[in-house]
Amino acid sequence: MSDTIESGDKVEVQWKGTKFSGMFISKDEKVTVIKLQNGYNLSLENSSIGSISLLSKFVQRKFSEEKVTGEGKRVFVLGTGGTIASYVDYETGAVKPAETPQEMLHAQPDLAKIASIGTEIILNILSEDMQKADWINIAKKVYERISERDGVVITHGTDVLSFTSSALSFLIENPKAPIVFTASQRSPDRPSSDAFFNLKGAVRVAQSDVGQVCVVMHSSTSDDALDIHSGVRLRKMHSSRRDAFKSINSEPIGRVDRDLRIQWRKYEKINEKPMKLYDKLSEKVGLLYFYPGLSEELFEKFAQVNDGLILAGTGLGHITNRFASRVKEYTSQGKIIGMTTQCLYGAVDLEVYTTGRNLLEAGVIPLHDMLPEVAYTKLSFLLGNFDVDTARNLLDKNLRGEISERRTE
Amino acid sequence: MTRISGGRSLKEEPNDTKIGLEIHFQVKGRKLFCECLGEESVLELGSFERKLSVVSGEKSDKDAAAMQESSKGKEYEYIKTENSCLVEMDEEPPHLPGRETLETAVVVSLIMGCRIVDNVHFMRKIVIDGSNTSGFQRTGIIGLHGNFKGNSRNIGITSVTLEEEACKKVREEGEKIVYNLDRLGIPLIEISTDPDMRSPKEAREVAQSIGLAVKQSGMIRREASSIRQDLNVSIKGGNRVEIKGVQSLSQIEKVLSKEIERQESLIEIANVLKGRAVSTGLLLEDLTNSNYFKDYELFSKGAKSGKKIFGFTLPGLSGVLNNGRFRLGKEIAERLKVVGIGGFIHSDELPNYGIGENEKQEISRKLGSKTDDAFGLIVLEPTKIEVCIEIIQNRIKDALGGVPAETRGATENGTRYLRPLAGSSRMYPETDIPLIRLDPSYLKEVEKKLPPTVEQRVNLLEALGVPRQEAFNSLWKEYDDVLESFVNEFGNPKICAKFLSVVFSSEPPDLQKAKTLINRFSKGNIPSESLESLYQDGEFGLSENRKIMLTKNESLDFTLILKDQHEMKEIGVDFKIKSEDTEKLVRIIESVIEENKSLIKERGEGSFKLIMGKVMKEARGQFEGKEISELLTKKIRDVIGKSDN
Repeated sequence: MSDTIESGDKVEVQWKGTKFSGMFISKDEKVTVIKLQNGYNLSLENSSIGSISLLSKFVQRKFSEEKVTGEGKRVFVLGTGGTIASYVDYETGAVKPAETPQEMLHAQPDLAKIASIGTEIILNILSEDMQKADWINIAKKVYERISERDGVVITHGTDVLSFTSSALSFLIENPKAPIVFTASQRSPDRPSSDAFFNLKGAVRVAQSDVGQVCVVMHSSTSDDALDIHSGVRLRKMHSSRRDAFKSINSEPIGRVDRDLRIQWRKYEKINEKPMKLYDKLSEKVGLLYFYPGLSEELFEKFAQVNDGLILAGTGLGHITNRFASRVKEYTSQGKIIGMTTQCLYGAVDLEVYTTGRNLLEAGVIPLHDMLPEVAYTKLSFLLGNFDVDTARNLLDKNLRGEISERRTE
Repeated sequence: MTRISGGRSLKEEPNDTKIGLEIHFQVKGRKLFCECLGEESVLELGSFERKLSVVSGEKSDKDAAAMQESSKGKEYEYIKTENSCLVEMDEEPPHLPGRETLETAVVVSLIMGCRIVDNVHFMRKIVIDGSNTSGFQRTGIIGLHGNFKGNSRNIGITSVTLEEEACKKVREEGEKIVYNLDRLGIPLIEISTDPDMRSPKEAREVAQSIGLAVKQSGMIRREASSIRQDLNVSIKGGNRVEIKGVQSLSQIEKVLSKEIERQESLIEIANVLKGRAVSTGLLLEDLTNSNYFKDYELFSKGAKSGKKIFGFTLPGLSGVLNNGRFRLGKEIAERLKVVGIGGFIHSDELPNYGIGENEKQEISRKLGSKTDDAFGLIVLEPTKIEVCIEIIQNRIKDALGGVPAETRGATENGTRYLRPLAGSSRMYPETDIPLIRLDPSYLKEVEKKLPPTVEQRVNLLEALGVPRQEAFNSLWKEYDDVLESFVNEFGNPKICAKFLSVVFSSEPPDLQKAKTLINRFSKGNIPSESLESLYQDGEFGLSENRKIMLTKNESLDFTLILKDQHEMKEIGVDFKIKSEDTEKLVRIIESVIEENKSLIKERGEGSFKLIMGKVMKEARGQFEGKEISELLTKKIRDVIGKSDN
């Protein structure tokens, strides 16, 4: 094949005794992809291709230059990876993420009807590759924006979204404008994507008076309502459904209906107390899921490398009695060990069984109905910004709505 | 579309009609991208609602058809069923296609003489009428550039694709369309031909031949709705029109004839309009407060409910809107209907609807119509009039060019407008499914499984004495194997063929009728005429208490069952008792004789009873006693004879 053939060029291909024309898309060591005029891609084995000859060069079409920012209260959309807006070039079949405000509004033209949109891509990584340093960077960017009283929407991959929303809840105290996360479970190149409704709903919430970090996602498989979750009370409960996110041990704080009207339940409004940004997270905090057969050796290693340890115990908050003396050793060294439940639903209670009482005795702090991931980000925040005693003291106190006394389900 | 008719044979009449077919077959078994069963009409389990949006690289890229559908602002409700899962709900990525399904698609591609692709590369084809929950149909090419032998010429096969069936539409409720998920995801094989057919009759014949050829795979679903055709047709001086959803073979010819008539009349209209002052400058007048429509309930009621009655000129269109073959008025009404605007009437229809000749003249004067001008009337919400006028203007512009390229739907009496012709630029790769390699060793294996061709099957049946037409009939209804077995078992090929054609004349086969006929058959009362008139209970009884009956098997296919006192044996497509089992009987007898050779030599024919008992132990119930005894006697004589020598 001639070197001068590039993606998009029109070519003629000889293959298995027949020939056809199409658009050259790509070639790797095994397969050459040709797009036929009827839109289908053919992935031909390189060895089965007789020849490819250039018919005409590709002429790039220009993106429309019209400048639109939209009308309505200003909202900043910050991208952190995980595509929530993209567009498809059906000519080549390429799917491209929207990066500039222009592209965002082109991909989601309805946004311009409800808000004046600013956008910035601050990170472009897969959600599962996120590090604590990234949470700090996101928090700093968000802090800049909300200092100007513009609501912020953060688009994020769904996998670890609740870690990030939880981290930001702790890192930014008394936000002066809404901080709203949203995501999509179906990529936005699809006509059926949940991204369109989720993003519109999130922008609406970012124009409200909500003063706590929240997450806006589908309430059910239908495109008829969005739940507004507290950033410290939710979890991804399904690997693929649109309504994967559920508020655990609390109700969603509000709902967005199909006409983008918000019905609030109990939520924190923006208040007049001074806003504060914390910019440290301890790297020496770990989260351990207990299971039958967990070796003492592994438990020790885990405890040794960390200053703080969150356990996701069984049931009411248990781990094997065999570790009790080890636990006591570590707590007396000053390490903080907090207990949550891997059941997620319900609170821990270490008073009911002997095992629990032994763990209490050994210095484990029961963390009520706080979710394991939230306890993990909270302890990282506490050990990063406060001394050990303060951190220990604050871990089981309700700071951002992450703990509740009453549970109704 | 004009074409220089260079290579055409002289025998043919000159003809610029070009017809192409897209034939869809549902494949048996599981769904294409999940393990749900491909059965329709099962239990309903609640529903959910969705919307669809389309985004593309540039505004002008947005496929015209897709754009139009989306602008309708529709909502879609999907009814969940027992045979749908998260995949159909668009809540889980697609699973890999089933091995059997893929193999069927390859077999069909080979039957169509196609070259098989190196890798199956599934694409997403944007479809936003809601019939796919995802907003696209997954589809991949399996075979390319094939060739199929029609009756009068070779038909080029553009491609054979494997794709997912869409949802079944249940009903429309205003802006909402309700779909059922049971059909979504059933594998569909689409065969697209080149536009090589020249007449409706030829198109029907080719569709039938292709259908017959594909059925030889044995993997095509039998339900009446499981085969559908789309047609492409253009005539000289016209444009390509795509006709969707032709449900039966017999409909092909009728729909195409009507469509060709329509296209011809549109070209004639264009010729008439060339000499006229046609314009899209429509003069619009609000006639709500006039007195012309007091006797026309649709208009008077509409006006009372807040709508307005609009009149507008249609410059140069008098006599082409509704006049003999000229039906431009209907064309305009169809375009309006797809955006929900009904009730368009025009001056060619008047006097009518309680609007008299006087009123017609007055309206005409009021609107300032000239000689060749027609006028239109509509009752409408004032906000919609702009869209209404724009649609009419566009259709008038199209009329000047003859036949507009568009997608139409098949109806009882021809076709109706659906949407502009879809472009080809609305596909992109399905990234959730990896490339599926079809390597040469796999293809070799599949080639071994290729069924005999239609011609081979028909020739074989003919050689057995089955009349040619009955042989074709049996292939079409897929009982050719049963017929072959019947003839092998009972002889009388003509009677067997006729008998089975009656049994299989209905879908599903008529069990009662079959029993009746089998009864008559079994009594040796084999009539040569009016089989259909025979009705009685009964089954086909063989000797030794064996019976044959027609029934359903586990996979709900109709089959013949051989029943005796010991077992039920499905003999449906493998109904070959005689040829296969005689060999088996010979083996049983020979082995018993071998074991008892000394006894036979000792007692001669006197050993028969003893040996027969031993053979019967193994052969009981499988063979007729008479057959066993005859064969055994012969074999024993062979042994005795040998020992004598």
